[in-house]
Amino acid sequence: MIPWDQALANRAARAPAPPAAASLPKDSLLAGFHPDHAPGAMEPLRIGASAGQNCPAALAALLHANALVEDLDIAGAPVLDAEVLVIGAGGAGCVAALTAARAGARVLLATKLRMGDGNTVMAEGGIQAAVGAEDSLQRHFDDTLRAGHFRADRALVAALVSDGPEAIRWLIREGMEFDLEDGAARIGGHLFRKKPGGATAARLLSHRDYTGLEMMRVLREAVLLTPGITVLERHPAVELLTDPHGGCAGAVLLDLEARRLVLARSGATLIATGGAGRLHLSGFPTSNHYGATADGLVLAYRLGAALREIESFQYHPTGIAWPPHLTGTLISEAARAAGGVLLNGLGQRFVEELGPRDVVAAAILREIAEGRGVARDGCAGVLLDTPGLEEAQPGILGKRLVTLTHLAHRAGFDPAQQPFLIRPTLHYQNGGIAIDAAGRTGVPGLLCAGEASGGLHGANRLMGNALLECVAFGRRAGAAAAEALRQDRPRGVGVAHLAAWERGLVAAGLPLDRRAPMLFPGYGNVDLGAVLPRARVAA
Amino acid sequence: MILTAPGLRVGADLGAHLAAGGGAGLAAALRDPAAIIPVIEAAGLRGLGGAGFPTHRKWGAVAAQPGPGKWVLCNGNEDEPGTFKDRFLLAETPHQVIEGALLAALAVRAAHVALYVNPREAATVATLRDAAACWSGHPLLAEVARAVGEPVAIAVVESSGLYIGGEETAAVASVEGRFPFPSLKPPFPAEAGVHGRPTLVNNVETLAQAGHILAHGADWYRALGRGGAAGTKLFSLSGDVLRPGLHELPMGTTLRELVFDHGGGILGGRAFKAVFTGGPSNTLLTAADLDAPMDFDGLRARGSRLGTGAMIVVGEGTSILRKTAEYVAFFAASSCGQCPPCKIGTFQVARLLERIEAGTGRPGDLAALRNLAALLPGSGRCGLVDGAATVLASSLRTFPEEYARAVRG
Repeated sequence: MIPWDQALANRAARAPAPPAAASLPKDSLLAGFHPDHAPGAMEPLRIGASAGQNCPAALAALLHANALVEDLDIAGAPVLDAEVLVIGAGGAGCVAALTAARAGARVLLATKLRMGDGNTVMAEGGIQAAVGAEDSLQRHFDDTLRAGHFRADRALVAALVSDGPEAIRWLIREGMEFDLEDGAARIGGHLFRKKPGGATAARLLSHRDYTGLEMMRVLREAVLLTPGITVLERHPAVELLTDPHGGCAGAVLLDLEARRLVLARSGATLIATGGAGRLHLSGFPTSNHYGATADGLVLAYRLGAALREIESFQYHPTGIAWPPHLTGTLISEAARAAGGVLLNGLGQRFVEELGPRDVVAAAILREIAEGRGVARDGCAGVLLDTPGLEEAQPGILGKRLVTLTHLAHRAGFDPAQQPFLIRPTLHYQNGGIAIDAAGRTGVPGLLCAGEASGGLHGANRLMGNALLECVAFGRRAGAAAAEALRQDRPRGVGVAHLAAWERGLVAAGLPLDRRAPMLFPGYGNVDLGAVLPRARVAA
Repeated sequence: MILTAPGLRVGADLGAHLAAGGGAGLAAALRDPAAIIPVIEAAGLRGLGGAGFPTHRKWGAVAAQPGPGKWVLCNGNEDEPGTFKDRFLLAETPHQVIEGALLAALAVRAAHVALYVNPREAATVATLRDAAACWSGHPLLAEVARAVGEPVAIAVVESSGLYIGGEETAAVASVEGRFPFPSLKPPFPAEAGVHGRPTLVNNVETLAQAGHILAHGADWYRALGRGGAAGTKLFSLSGDVLRPGLHELPMGTTLRELVFDHGGGILGGRAFKAVFTGGPSNTLLTAADLDAPMDFDGLRARGSRLGTGAMIVVGEGTSILRKTAEYVAFFAASSCGQCPPCKIGTFQVARLLERIEAGTGRPGDLAALRNLAALLPGSGRCGLVDGAATVLASSLRTFPEEYARAVRG
């Protein structure tokens, strides 16, 4: 490993790029250095609808766990009735709730933290949609499939890309602002498009470098102003409810303020709980928000929904590696899209910066593993050359890369003078709950949208497709949920599926006393024991 | 055991049924039709649909009525929560059932055999239709017709699928093509049943046993049971056990054996709490009843009933209140509405339980429930309201703390 000061000197000396022989073919780079392929990182699932599928060990422990509640706990619990229950109030959840409510459904929007408190607000790069004259839906489709190593579901990808332009129109109508081309009039200008990593056309639409935050701003306002939606903040779902036919009939929520359970019964239930970064797979830091603990995955899987590509996670190439208190925090791809380069400790470029994220991340991990990384106060990484970028495009840091500059100030340095030390950070769950093009899972009455769902990204997500997924599939699933809503009040709603689950655990020889969902990461020191006695033995 | 023996699980294939030893009971009966009822009596066969009424007395009553045109109605409506024995017999071994029905037709000299089946599972109905078609023109059926003295026809009749359609007078109404309203007794179906003709109504499981009794004799059958009880019983085991499912066990087997030996014990090592039996319309069995023999008299001595043999096991983690509310809601939705106390009473009880279960009950609600539990029994044409009141009263009496806790919130 090359010390920080030496690396800075090497950078200043402008070392030439290494000989071509030093670069590895994509496949061996991924096989050798991507965390998904590390030996021992995966284990096959032993029970459930996707038994046999490979899964990160930490996630498998949750998927193999027993429930936090049992039948006796919900006797006498207050009941809320809705036509559509949406679990999770990030981008996908809010879009779905809005769509269902506008279709006439009474919607309950329950969230573990607060509305918008999720990964959507942290999406910096932008949202993809094939709106350019030289671009096409076919190219967006091809780019998405190729980036995902052809493992995505073609029907889902087709739905995603063809919804793209309309999703942008919808967002604009909701009041979202996008960057316009230089010199364009405030009204009637052309959308400013950037070329996202892994794409063949300029297709990334953005609002500065806080596109997700701007999107969430308008969604939040819309949700609060829509009369058919009741928002329950600080109400995590701890179990799903079933009807006697095995369909989903709502969820058991935990009211964190009153410290009691609440039953939310519904005709259709939509999981929009996001990803699993806070499981810190293989010990990686994460760019994810505090609530990303795979709760929705655990609950849907226990009820019989299948999962796909659950062994595949995206490690964002440029997470902060130093200072330690900001470890894992994301530096948007916007910096690289604007021309920022990555340098190893020898001051050399080692990878095409705008390649697919998995390839760039694996290349960075290779530099570190093979001793060409940079060490600063015990933190290892490579350099993101922000001074070089400012030199080439004076003023860009202050004007366009606002979030990046803000982060540098929080870290205590000037990005125009000093490069960032970066390292891949656990960023996105590529797979998830298997859905169809309407967002329906295999379980009647259970739908899913957003990062929690699987099939859209294959084994690697293209940047900008996550926000598009939130809008496109939030709208699709929200509409399907409003259609699926049940007219008659369900009878015999409860947690009868847990008996079958426990029988499965016994048959597989798995312990009964491990409990999930996790709800909060262990280091959060949230004591749920008083209200959920069984939560004390966490998975 | 006999009903679930793998050899006879041949589906609709009559040839395979006869090759596996089926048909022996019918053959024996054809040799001496007059001996059928005395053999059934000696075997101690009782109505396995839940009532436990001595089978030979029903058969004797219909036999004593004048022909022609009498009916045998094989009752396969089965819609009680937790009961899944008849659908097994009809789907897996329908010829056992048809053979028993023909045997009964022979004994009571009936010309019509109606296989009355719940349409819930289309595959089961299809199998039964195929199975019944195998008998048309079969020499065994011709022999039965000769002994009865008139042509014998087997018909598959789909029920309404409603729970109430399993009550015997409602079943008669259904076969006649009317809505399954239960009617006052007397007259009993044995006197005036389908189209006013004397009708023998028996449960699927009861009829399936008859062939084995005739084939192997009354003493052999009695010896299958334990204590004073005769034969075998199909137990539909469900709820919080490790291995739920259908178990054919000697009549008189203890609850402990069923739950812990055959069912693998309570799920997750929890403690045993209670069992809802039969409808589930009977008094709850508790840990004190674990060593009670499960037969008609044994459970009656404990103040409960064997019912259909459904044993819905409740472990420590499951709420009696929620289960009771679920079953009473089922009865309320199943009430045919003819008798006001049943229609209004079951609705009221269901409403009160739903309120308590949802955490909005008041202490006065418990008094109202006790009041209704005392008031309602005996107020309907059939036993539906009695069942709802019995299960309510029993859960209030045995688990008052669960109700109190929910009302306190």
